[in-house]
Amino acid sequence: MHALKSVAGAAGLGMIGFYLGLGFVAVLRAMLGYPDAWGGEINIVGGYVFGLVGWLMGIGMWGIWIREWFGLKTYQRRAPGWQRYFTFNTDHKVIGIQYLVTFIVVFLLAGLLALGMRLELASSGMQFISHSQYNGAMGLHGILMIAVAVAAVIGGAGNYAVPLMIGADDMAFPRLNALTFWLIPPVAVALLATPFLGGIETGWTAYPPLSTTTNSSQILFDLAIITFGLTSILGGLNFIITIIFMRAPGMTWGRLPIFVWSMFVTSWLAIFFTQGFAVALLMILLDRVAGMAFFSAEAGGDPLLYQHVFWFYSHPAVYIMVLPGFGLALEVISHFSRKPLFAYRYAVGAFLGILGLSGVVWAHHMFTSGMPNYLHGPFLVATELISIPTGLIFLSALGTIWMGKLWLQTPMLFAMAVIFNFACGGVTGIFLADVPTDIHLHDTYFVVAHFHYTIVGGEIFALFAGIYYWFPKMTGRMYNETLAKLHFWWMFIGFNLTFFTMHLPGVKGMNRRVADFPESLDNLNMLVSISGWLLGLSFLVFMYNMINAWIRGPVAEANPWRARTLEWQTTSPPPHENFPEQPVIKGHPYDYGVPGSVHGVFPNSGLAGAPSGSAGGGGQ
Amino acid sequence: MAPKLRQIQRTGEQAHKEALTYFHLDTFHDRMRTAAAAEWGVAARSLSLAGQGAQLLHVRHLITAGLLWVVLTAVGELLVVADLYPTVGSHEAQDFDDIFRFLLLLGVPVMTFVFAVLIYAGLQFRIRTAVPTEDGPAMRGQGWFPRAWLAVTGGLAIFVMIYPGLTGLAELQQGDKGASGWGDQEAEVTIKATAFKWQWLFEYPDGTQVSVAAGKELVLPNETSIKFEVNAADVVHSLWIPAFRMKIDAMPGRTTYMTVKPNKLGEFASDQAYRVQCTELCGLDHATMMFPVRVVEPQEFESWLASLNEGGN
Repeated sequence: MHALKSVAGAAGLGMIGFYLGLGFVAVLRAMLGYPDAWGGEINIVGGYVFGLVGWLMGIGMWGIWIREWFGLKTYQRRAPGWQRYFTFNTDHKVIGIQYLVTFIVVFLLAGLLALGMRLELASSGMQFISHSQYNGAMGLHGILMIAVAVAAVIGGAGNYAVPLMIGADDMAFPRLNALTFWLIPPVAVALLATPFLGGIETGWTAYPPLSTTTNSSQILFDLAIITFGLTSILGGLNFIITIIFMRAPGMTWGRLPIFVWSMFVTSWLAIFFTQGFAVALLMILLDRVAGMAFFSAEAGGDPLLYQHVFWFYSHPAVYIMVLPGFGLALEVISHFSRKPLFAYRYAVGAFLGILGLSGVVWAHHMFTSGMPNYLHGPFLVATELISIPTGLIFLSALGTIWMGKLWLQTPMLFAMAVIFNFACGGVTGIFLADVPTDIHLHDTYFVVAHFHYTIVGGEIFALFAGIYYWFPKMTGRMYNETLAKLHFWWMFIGFNLTFFTMHLPGVKGMNRRVADFPESLDNLNMLVSISGWLLGLSFLVFMYNMINAWIRGPVAEANPWRARTLEWQTTSPPPHENFPEQPVIKGHPYDYGVPGSVHGVFPNSGLAGAPSGSAGGGGQ
Repeated sequence: MAPKLRQIQRTGEQAHKEALTYFHLDTFHDRMRTAAAAEWGVAARSLSLAGQGAQLLHVRHLITAGLLWVVLTAVGELLVVADLYPTVGSHEAQDFDDIFRFLLLLGVPVMTFVFAVLIYAGLQFRIRTAVPTEDGPAMRGQGWFPRAWLAVTGGLAIFVMIYPGLTGLAELQQGDKGASGWGDQEAEVTIKATAFKWQWLFEYPDGTQVSVAAGKELVLPNETSIKFEVNAADVVHSLWIPAFRMKIDAMPGRTTYMTVKPNKLGEFASDQAYRVQCTELCGLDHATMMFPVRVVEPQEFESWLASLNEGGN
């Protein structure tokens, strides 16, 4: 069993590394004369770092990469069929699927946590779990879902589709790409281990001084997120270099598919801002293990500092999440409306505008934090301004749909739902951007409803659009369209019932992150809980459809959607090198309804001029 | 598994050919347009919507979708008149509710515009064949329309930025720009609030303290401006009274404030909007970090305060 050998071996090395690290720090501490050599949080840090290195070496970095540094011959573990998904494989298509499957599993796990929380919140009083368990579940739900939102579309759909869409044979740095994925399992293990150290008590935001004084699960949280930030930055770097240097001949910036544009802009966001989160958590870590007191007021530090550094990443992070979602939705909408993407340049401009503005809006998360009063005005203005580029995304989507020939297959339904949901999420955003309304609404369920509308409604719906859209390409098989539509309507209705209703307890006076609430809000919460469970159950249909189709679905055509972009011009699934030969780009990817237009050709295959009649253009 | 995978992988020319067949969908419309272009020497693209029939059809679509927008907006605007709010317990709460309603009034048509286009398009422009057999018109959105869109959305954004955004902010932040808090810095009654895990301690100007240990409720005089000076003893907390719609964080190492002016008698026992609630996650018992509030007439407030002092506080 190649798969088992690969993963179990790496896990074994990781465990050995972990204990080595623990012991190494213990020996150091004993030598330096600390009283309790084994008991410090610094031991966990040592164990994690050594364990991470052990895991990476074991999974394949040693063989394929590090040996090179010592002048040794590198080798790659070969594994046939599905087992290659469990090895350090450098094929971007394998990595994309690894990301997708991993994060769907994480998504479902974190979703289960949410269902547990909604069970407890169905009525006031404590019924099933304790406050401590609720806080732990809530923190874990938050951070796992943040990880899903950051990595599922970028790592999954991005890795899989971007090289194909730009006519490249792989990413610019394939080994780095594999590394970004294989850093994820230790992150997941560390986060899932937090309940054993007392559970995350701080939510995913980890505000000090709570985070500097809470239980030791905070250490695992910090280490996991710093690692996760590293994968984000390395992934972003890889996408930027790939998109700049590996586009097919003729693939000018004006002919770049819109999803690739969104990935490009998102990658810049990732490499600009991610270190903000990592640095903020590193400071928490140092406060805890090295007594730095960055955030301890009595020692001269400032808790508010953390919030600035943290939101400096974590607001742009919502654009890291949602921009690829927009890109994906626009991509799907154009192909399934069979019309050119409306106002393509404006959509690209919108992405760039959001990139520019997203760095100067962070303090709108801190309107009630007690930051000095002169800061509110500028951040209010910048935050309202960002709705202008966002409005252009709507222009592009609605303009494309208008007068189109809408083929309402599941990917299109999900893409249209992105626009629908984000309209609601965007409008409720105005209430939070305007300080006079935000004072009351801040940290209430109104905010919870708002960000679920933008991130789940905007990005996760786009993720599902992408999964259904590329499923035939990825697996070579077709899913069941009826079940897929059932999943869509079930999820769409469940989602809107849950989160639209959720605004109301917020306005009425229910603050967020609570295990209990006043009984006057009982009815609304029961409604939200029931709808939430309805939403949760919809994923059973999804899972059944995906697994069933992957194993025994009908064989998919190369281009089941009759789409023009390059990934559909090769087999399903594509061969290792993606295309039979280097495609050459002749025109815009979305020129539906333009006679004689063609996006790309394969100049030497002899078949390039073949497509029916006037539509070819291979010989031009 | 492997041979099976290879079997469905169908690499090579046959699949390639199949792929290229759909590289561009040669449609009935295309052929029509190409023919028309050849015959009349008209640029093919301009034909997409140029025909008078098409133009009329387009106008009909616009009118019907516009009607749908109006209907959806009318339904949506019911949110403006709906009672979504907790008790209005202060002048600030009245302001909040007014602004919230105003933003709903503006926001609902924006939302329903998107809904109307999506719903109308989904019903009217869907194809009924198993696979698409023709392309839509090649509208690229390069003319005046995107600019007009930009002007309208930009205008709306700047409008709400100024009113109620900046104007409301100016009302909330009178006085020292370097201070941290809401409302007047001068008030008739100043109460020091200290947040700690997981309760509150309030101190009245005469030194009387109330907490879960003594007093057990925060009594406030009606129609009197009350300034809370807020501190935290351990971690970040936040002081929120839903009936007043006001909130300010309690931050270790600094003093924040908020000034409110209650305008309605009420108490926690009968109305849960009258409570001080911690709204910044502060650990284990964050959810239950609340303290009852009672708003009484000023005279009653004085006598209550006096009775509390006699009680040995």
